Amino acid sequence: MNSRSWFRLKQNAPKLSMLAYMVLFFIFLLGPILIVVAISFTETEYVAFPPKGFSLRWYERFFEYDAFVDSFIVSVELAIATAVLGVGLGVPAALAVTRGHVPFANTIMTFLLSPLSMPLIVMGFALLFYLSALGFGVSFLSLLIAHTVISLPYVVRTVAGVYRGISPDFEESAAVLGANRLQIFWNITLPMIKPGIFAGMLFAMLISIDNLPISFFFGSADTNTLPVVMLSYLEHQFDPSIAAASCIQLIVAVIGLFIVERIYGLDAMTPAS
Amino acid sequence: MILKRSGITTVSAGVVSPWWIAFTGLFLVVFFVLPIVNNLLNTTELATLAKQRPISFYYHKLFTDPYYIRIVFDTVALSVGVTVICIIIGYPVAMFLVRHSGKWSGFIIFLLIAPLLTSIIMRTFGWRVLFARRGLVNDFLIWADILEKPFMFLNSASSAVVGLVHVLVPFMVLSIASVLRSIDLQLEESARILGASRVKTFLKVTFPLSLDGIGTGFIIVFLLANGSFVTLLLLGGGDLKTLPLLIYQQFTISRDFQFAAAMSNVLLAIAVGCLYLQLRLIRRKGVKGS
Repeated sequence: MNSRSWFRLKQNAPKLSMLAYMVLFFIFLLGPILIVVAISFTETEYVAFPPKGFSLRWYERFFEYDAFVDSFIVSVELAIATAVLGVGLGVPAALAVTRGHVPFANTIMTFLLSPLSMPLIVMGFALLFYLSALGFGVSFLSLLIAHTVISLPYVVRTVAGVYRGISPDFEESAAVLGANRLQIFWNITLPMIKPGIFAGMLFAMLISIDNLPISFFFGSADTNTLPVVMLSYLEHQFDPSIAAASCIQLIVAVIGLFIVERIYGLDAMTPAS
Repeated sequence: MILKRSGITTVSAGVVSPWWIAFTGLFLVVFFVLPIVNNLLNTTELATLAKQRPISFYYHKLFTDPYYIRIVFDTVALSVGVTVICIIIGYPVAMFLVRHSGKWSGFIIFLLIAPLLTSIIMRTFGWRVLFARRGLVNDFLIWADILEKPFMFLNSASSAVVGLVHVLVPFMVLSIASVLRSIDLQLEESARILGASRVKTFLKVTFPLSLDGIGTGFIIVFLLANGSFVTLLLLGGGDLKTLPLLIYQQFTISRDFQFAAAMSNVLLAIAVGCLYLQLRLIRRKGVKGS
């Protein structure tokens, strides 16, 4: 190695080592996930990595096993219902806190976001006994209530974020021109906050579809969600059908993420933002 | 003129009614606050279901029995440990993302967020394959002569910690990155011009300015680690017992609901303490911003 290229390497060393660190980091982050994707296509009877051959038999097994299919349907129905109820409750609250001259708006906002900070297992446990005492018991409705409580903060935050960025001038102009409250909301506000509502709905769905710490408290033949069934399956068996089930769930989530990215950008996904 | 003026006053009173919050607020009070209060007071059928012991019996057990003191301690220690590891691993990633990623930043954010959408079961499954007795990790360590024979990673505290860090590190990276992004680069340039070395500039300028991001990340990761049980169940295999895992086991196996209620209240107290810290942090930021 001549002296010039040695010098160049030395100069680039910090950059190169940082690059190497990033590559290692993403191998750590994505490796375990990609391994599961690979395993889901294995031909073998058992979990094999690297997988042998290529087959869709474990996907077939997923769709043949009633517990998986039924719980997948429950999960999807629950996710959609959660998103709808979450938007119904979250949008008015987000609008009121942002621009409704609510007293103590900051404190109320903190309150609306506070379910994010509660340990989910505590909420699941507390809600199970509370809802049972109220007579809701272990039912789809109980699940819906519980999932709505935990996804509400995401809806509120995305909608409030979008609404804050919209100038009040539009609404005021409409008011000056004689539109009433309902007309203003329907024709001016709603179309402008639509991206926030849509993103909030998708977040609510993603939170709901992946939830386990709450759902498992409300498990029964009719109300088991896919993660609950997967957990109990995994506690007794270890075969590639869990890999296939994971991938099916992932496909649903990736489609959701892609739509959010197109509409809203990704920064809003994290509790940090 | 008068008409117009009165119109404007109505407008400034708001197109959006403050009452729009009422129903949502009621919903949260009924289905979020009351259940937790109910759990604190322990007034439901719990008492009749279980062994009719006063709840104080269970708190007494939790805070005097060395076995349970150990579990409470381990719960907090695990959360703090996982959070610190996340800071150490995540900080350089956040730095790279903000300062060096250029046009790749969108792609890197995508790679950071994509794992958050995979189910926790998928990720634990992946680690179980990797950590298996004859899995990739053991194969590699033996090949590299670090180990002589396979190490039983599975069902040990170490694999649970790795699994938790894997799940939670993206939250840390994103929290730190959002604060790093807001740091004025001129401050660092000034320090460099005034003769500070790269390392000194980082330690005296960049790092202190990024503490807010570390603080936010700390709280998020701590809270999530504090409440997790799936990783501990499927990777730790009960080697490391924490409150959430014990609540799960009390609920599914022992069915001692009152004890589970007492434990969930202790877990809740830890979370509320953390939430209080978060509020103080936000308030401090608010003061700084103004």
